[in-house]
Parts: sequence; C-alpha cells; structure tokens
Amino acid sequence: MIIHLGRLKPNLRWLATSIVVLGFYNYPTGLLFQSAQAEDAGNLYNTAVDIRMGNRYFERQCSRCHGFDAKGNDETGAPNLTGRLRSASSDAGIFNIIREGVPGTAMLPVAADVPDATVWQLVAYINSLRYDPLSVELAGDAETGDRLFNGKADCSGCHMVNGRGGRLGPDLSRIGENKTPEDLLLSLMDPDQEVAPRWWTVRAAGADGVIREGFRMNEDSFSLRIMDTDSNLWSFQKRELENYERQEKSTMPSYAETLSDGELDDLVAYLFSLRREVLPQ
Amino acid sequence: MKHATALLVSVLMAAIAGAQEDQFSTVITPAFSPITWERLVDARNEPNNWLMYSGTLDSQRYSLLDSINIDNVGQLEMKWAYQIPVIDRAETVPLVVDGIMFITEAPSNVVAVDARTGREYWRYDHEMPDDLRICCGRNNRGVAILGETLFMSTLDAHLVAIDARTGNLLWDTEVAPHDSGYSKTAAPLIVKDKVVTGIAGGEFGIRGFIDAYDPATGEREWRTYVIPGPGEFGNDTWSDDSWKTGGAATWITGSYDADLNQIYWGTGNPGPDWNGDVRLGDNLYSDSVVALDGDSGEIVWHFQFTPHDVHDYDSIQVPILTDIEFNGRQRQVMMWANRNGFYYTLDRSNGEFLIGKPYAAQTWAQGLDPVTGRPIRVPGMAPTYEGIMVSPPIVGATNWYSPGYSQDTGLFYVTSFDGEQEFFKRDEDYEEGERFTGGGGRYTSPMDAFHSSIRAINPETAEIEWEFPIMPRSSAGITTTAGGLVFTGSADGYFFALDASSGEELWNISLGRRVHAAPMTFAVDGEQFVTIASGNVVYTFGLRD
Repeated sequence: MIIHLGRLKPNLRWLATSIVVLGFYNYPTGLLFQSAQAEDAGNLYNTAVDIRMGNRYFERQCSRCHGFDAKGNDETGAPNLTGRLRSASSDAGIFNIIREGVPGTAMLPVAADVPDATVWQLVAYINSLRYDPLSVELAGDAETGDRLFNGKADCSGCHMVNGRGGRLGPDLSRIGENKTPEDLLLSLMDPDQEVAPRWWTVRAAGADGVIREGFRMNEDSFSLRIMDTDSNLWSFQKRELENYERQEKSTMPSYAETLSDGELDDLVAYLFSLRREVLPQ
Repeated sequence: MKHATALLVSVLMAAIAGAQEDQFSTVITPAFSPITWERLVDARNEPNNWLMYSGTLDSQRYSLLDSINIDNVGQLEMKWAYQIPVIDRAETVPLVVDGIMFITEAPSNVVAVDARTGREYWRYDHEMPDDLRICCGRNNRGVAILGETLFMSTLDAHLVAIDARTGNLLWDTEVAPHDSGYSKTAAPLIVKDKVVTGIAGGEFGIRGFIDAYDPATGEREWRTYVIPGPGEFGNDTWSDDSWKTGGAATWITGSYDADLNQIYWGTGNPGPDWNGDVRLGDNLYSDSVVALDGDSGEIVWHFQFTPHDVHDYDSIQVPILTDIEFNGRQRQVMMWANRNGFYYTLDRSNGEFLIGKPYAAQTWAQGLDPVTGRPIRVPGMAPTYEGIMVSPPIVGATNWYSPGYSQDTGLFYVTSFDGEQEFFKRDEDYEEGERFTGGGGRYTSPMDAFHSSIRAINPETAEIEWEFPIMPRSSAGITTTAGGLVFTGSADGYFFALDASSGEELWNISLGRRVHAAPMTFAVDGEQFVTIASGNVVYTFGLRD
C-alpha cells in the first residue's frame, strides 16, 4: 500500500490494515494454551473480531488504571501501552504479565477463571495499538526529506537529531517510534494542534523587573524553570515573580503553505525513519 | 594512691548521684496508654495525640496545638523520615498515642514507630491472597484504636485487630468475599463499643453496606446495606434487579455526633458507573450521606447529592461537623464539598439542605434546587458511546482526600480540581468478581492544562473566600491548627503551610513525590510535630532546635 500524505484525509485507514501481530507465523496450533505460562509461540487470536473483543475487555478491566485510550496514567503509575512496552517485547511476554501480574505492584493478575483465549485477545488488542513500521509505505523519500530538514525547511535550526541541531524544539532522534506519519504531518501543518507542556512558553517578570521569556521546561506549584531563546536556563520561585503568563501554543511555524505536498511527504518520510533501529530499505 | 583513688571514686559517685537526682526530677513514663471511648470523644482536648483518622469524631482535622504558628512556621525542618519498604503510594494518616506512631503501608501492613525518631517498635504484615480484585491501587489509609487494640481494613476485605503493644494479630474477620470484588482501604471509626467500617468495590457490582463489629471478638454486631432490599424504603429507585449489583461502596471513614448519637457516612457511585440505562431511577442511597443510629445502625435520614449518577461522582468525602449561625439561627451542620463540583451545608440533625453552590468547574448541572438541594441537570450530559465532554472529570472536583475546617476562621478548606474529560458509555453484563463499570473516560488535554486549588469556603454563604492555586491534580488532604495554619500537599510533591485566614503562602518544602495523603499533627514532651506521607515516605517536621 502506498500512502500519499500530501493532505490529511480523515478516511485514511492505513493503520488498521497495517497491523501486524508479531509472531503470528510458523507455529502449529494446539500448543499454546496448555499452561498459564506462555512460551513465545505466537497468538492465534488476532482477527479483527479478536482485537475488538480484546478492546472491550481492556475497556472494562484495564482502563481504570491504563486509561480508556491505553495511554497510561501518571497517578496510578500505569504505563502507556500504545508505544514501546517497558516489560514485554513479545506476545508471550505480554500474555504472561496479564496472566500473572507484576509482583509487588498494583498490576494484578487477571482472575484465574478468565480463559486464556480472552487473554490472547487482550494481547491482540494491545498489539493493535502499535504497528510494524515495515508495513508502512510512504510516498515521500526520506533522503530528500533529510536534505529539506537541514536545508530549505531549516528544521535543524531548532530540532536536534542525533546530537546535531538546535535546542528550541523537541529532540527528534527517535520521533518515528512514537508518532504515526499522520501525526507527523499534522504537526508540520498545524503545530498548535497538540503541544506538549514542555514546549509551552512562559513570560515571567522577575524580582529584578526584567521580563524573561522561554520554554516552560518545568512548572510546579511553587516554582518555574525556563530556557530562553539563547539557551539560558532560569529558575524562579513563583512568589518572587511580579507576574507570569503561560502560552500553551507552539513556537514552530506551520509548513502548510511554505512546503509543497511532495516536500511534506518527503519530510514525513524522513521523520518517520528516525528511530533507534534503522529500518531496512 | 589507694586513698587517692578512693577519694576520686567517692567524688565521682557524689557527682553522679547529683546528676541522677536531676535526672529523676524529670518523670519518664512508658510510651502508649490505653484509649478509652471517653478519650476518643474528647480527643480534641488531648492534642498531643492524633487518635483517629480525622483527628476527632467531628472530622474537622483542627488541632489545638499552636506552638507551630503563622509567625514561626518558616522555621520548620525535617526531623525524621520513615521509608515504607513497599514501592507504592502511601495514603496513610498515622495515629499517635502517647509518643507511639502507627503507620499503615501498602498493601495492608502496619508499623509502630517512636513518634520522636521514626524508629520501629514492631510491624504487622497482613497475609494476602493473590487473587485480589481492586479498582484503584493497593491503598490503605490508616487504623483506628480502642483500648490497646488497633483495627485495620485490609485489601482482601477483612477487618483485623492488632495488639497495639506488640503487633500481634488478635482476630481476623472476613467482612465480605474478596473474590466477588469486595475490598477494604479506609480506616475504621470507633463508635462507643463498636468498630464501624465500610466497604470498597463499587466498580465490581457489589452491594454497599456499613458494618459494626465487637472490638473484643470481631463478631459482627450489625450491617446496614446502603442499597435497600425488596420491601424497604428506596428499593423502588432501582429498576428491575439492579439494586443487587448497584455498588454504593462506603470506602471512606465517616464521622460521629455523640450528642445526636448519629453516625454519618458517605456512599459511592451506583454501578455500573457510566451506564445508567440498566438501573433507572434515583438509585438510593448511592452518592449520598446516610445518618445511622449510633447503636442500631438503622438509617435515620439520608441526603442524596447526585441522584441517578452516570459520572462516577462518589460521595466519598469525610463529613465535617460543626455548629454555625445560619440565617440568624444556631444550626448543627455538616459541611460537604462533593465530587460532583458542588459544596453543601446540611443540617445534620435531620439532613435538611441549607445552602449549596458550585466550588469548582462543572458543566453537568444548572444548579441546585434551592429548597431540596437536588441538582437540576443540564440535558444531554450523560456518557455516550461516542464520548461527551463533561466537567468535573471522573476523578471529580474533589475526591476521598480529607477536607479541613478551622474553628478560628470558621472556614472549610478543600483541595479542588477544575478539569474535564470525555465520558464513554459501554454495555456490560454483570459477572461476579469482574469489573462492572459500563464505560470510562479519557482526557483530551494534558493534565498541566487544568487547575487545582486549595479553596476556603464560608459554610454560611457557600462562597469561596480565598483560593491558592497549585498544579493539577492534587490529591492531598488538609489539616488546620490553632496556630492559624492550613497544612496540605500537592501532586508535584510539596508539603506546605498557608495562612488559614488569608490563604497566603507561609512555608513549603519539596518532598519530591506526590502527596496522596492528609497531614496530621501531634506533640511529644511538649514539642509539636507535623507529619505527611509523600510517595512512599512518611516525613515528620518540627521547629528548628
């Protein structure tokens, strides 16, 4: 499947069709569900219906801690399950965590009478929250995108990739692992759509009367730390500030008008290729 | 030489004897003394001790200690830290009895330490089955004490009695079967000669109740279901058989009025939480306060804050009792900032609604009926299959964490949250021991985009007198003192003190991890301390020596 991302189309369903449930191949049936401790023998319960059933079970049993969107919850300490998993890298690993829990934590095992099939459906659902990047074919060219990134678009003026570039935006060295091509395109076209609080800006009038403006690196109930556009780091006690304002917007310009559809495709292809493990060509 | 030595020895002996004489002029008494019911009723007048979860039976969390006050609170320093050997958040409010502190730990353990040093006397580790059903973490909020016995709720829905001198287990009673979804997290409340305690499990289709147990034997004295059975008043507020799985868990500690002989207890959400289609009606006594007769446990009156709740707005808040002049007349009132975003002042003798107003962002109700206090709903705010944005979010405008009240300012203090969330509805069938919630919610903005505040509310007007903004979403409780202080914590790990009159910031310290508990204060040998749990550490502060 070739994906042209030139402009976002809401009916793009590439994600759903590119789901690859790891370890599906090469294993005979009948061996999988004999014991509570699964070996890495793959998941047979991975049809669209299974994923849907897994989703329903997740919403019911898991969402209280992990969130209805599986993106985790800092308060409960439940991790985000939509990206790289911390404690499991295979179907069997995920299965075992669900079946047995994580000792000494609030991650309890599912009830003993929950059938293994249900747990496998849950595994299929959790896997469906990610996808194999190899299954994604993009219309753009990553090498051309690299040149744009460091050239015409001047992304590197603000963003670092592998230790080179500016400090005025997120480090993008592994951006491909956490964002879909759709997310990346949206960020290029409408940077204000979703801005992480780390990249909000703050304008603070200090006790010395000087107004300083910079990225909101961290704000807590009583203090504030910012980095200004010269990369100076400042720390303030809120009670010592005369006033401060917070802008929950991005400082990045939109590229919707300044780059062509083809250039946007190339840039997305480059950004999507930025990950720890280099994708085979 | 011998003589010289003998002389030296005799001189030394005389010096030591003199020193001993001085030493004996200070009376050293053993730590800990038995706690009678009379001492619990009069707990405010022995402020060196913190004898129950909310400090006193009226749950004001107002201490008469004032040696730490608005003038010197800036000199607080850490005296000791007790590291809970379990990596989990601590929701504990320790008790202090004559120099001994009792701290509960996740999942359901208790440790007794020297309140001056934090060093251990004994510990009790509760044996736990491995098939727990808990909705929201391995929490325990504290113990109750009567005589020489501590009483603790456990995650496997037991009530245990522990010898306060040794940590030995005296009895262990199953309150309800844990594999059906019942659990227990809240500190029990002693009422005369009984241990009164609630139940958790509102996300598992349980039927909520409040129990009383014999402190000597662990035998159950009475049980009052907070969902009425067939033939009882209110059963017809549940369609079909939905009352059987209607939730209304009682997962917090209540309050008691000795003069009226009434126990007050909050109740949780009806189940399933977010799909009300299967439980049409008001769903009594979910999301209510119930007043129980202090001897029989019979329901004397009730007030339902959120009839037919579909947003998980548990009324799991600690009722604070005081007497105020309201519209020119002295009233015995109960103050309540609810998870649903409204603050209420009720007459606690009969449950009459006196006044109520929003104290935090809310979009689900147009207001409260001025006579009955019943919410006037905004149409179309129930959860949908596609999702609908509603405020307060599921975690509520406040939640289980204790509010406070100061007898000096006459203000009620609450940790509040202004947030919103997308609510979803799902169809689910009840299965015993499985979650039964009928939906859920998700945030569409980062948490930092919302606001938490400490708000001071005047109970006569229900107006906010001042507020102190902190980062979201704080889940710390509040304690007030005669030193003019409000002590509380924040989600970003601060412990701090405000001026109870003005809300002015007086002191703060970064403890590094979320404060998920309420502070308490006590004194040993005349020296006042204040204690708070942050992360899984219990810290104690006192004035600089």
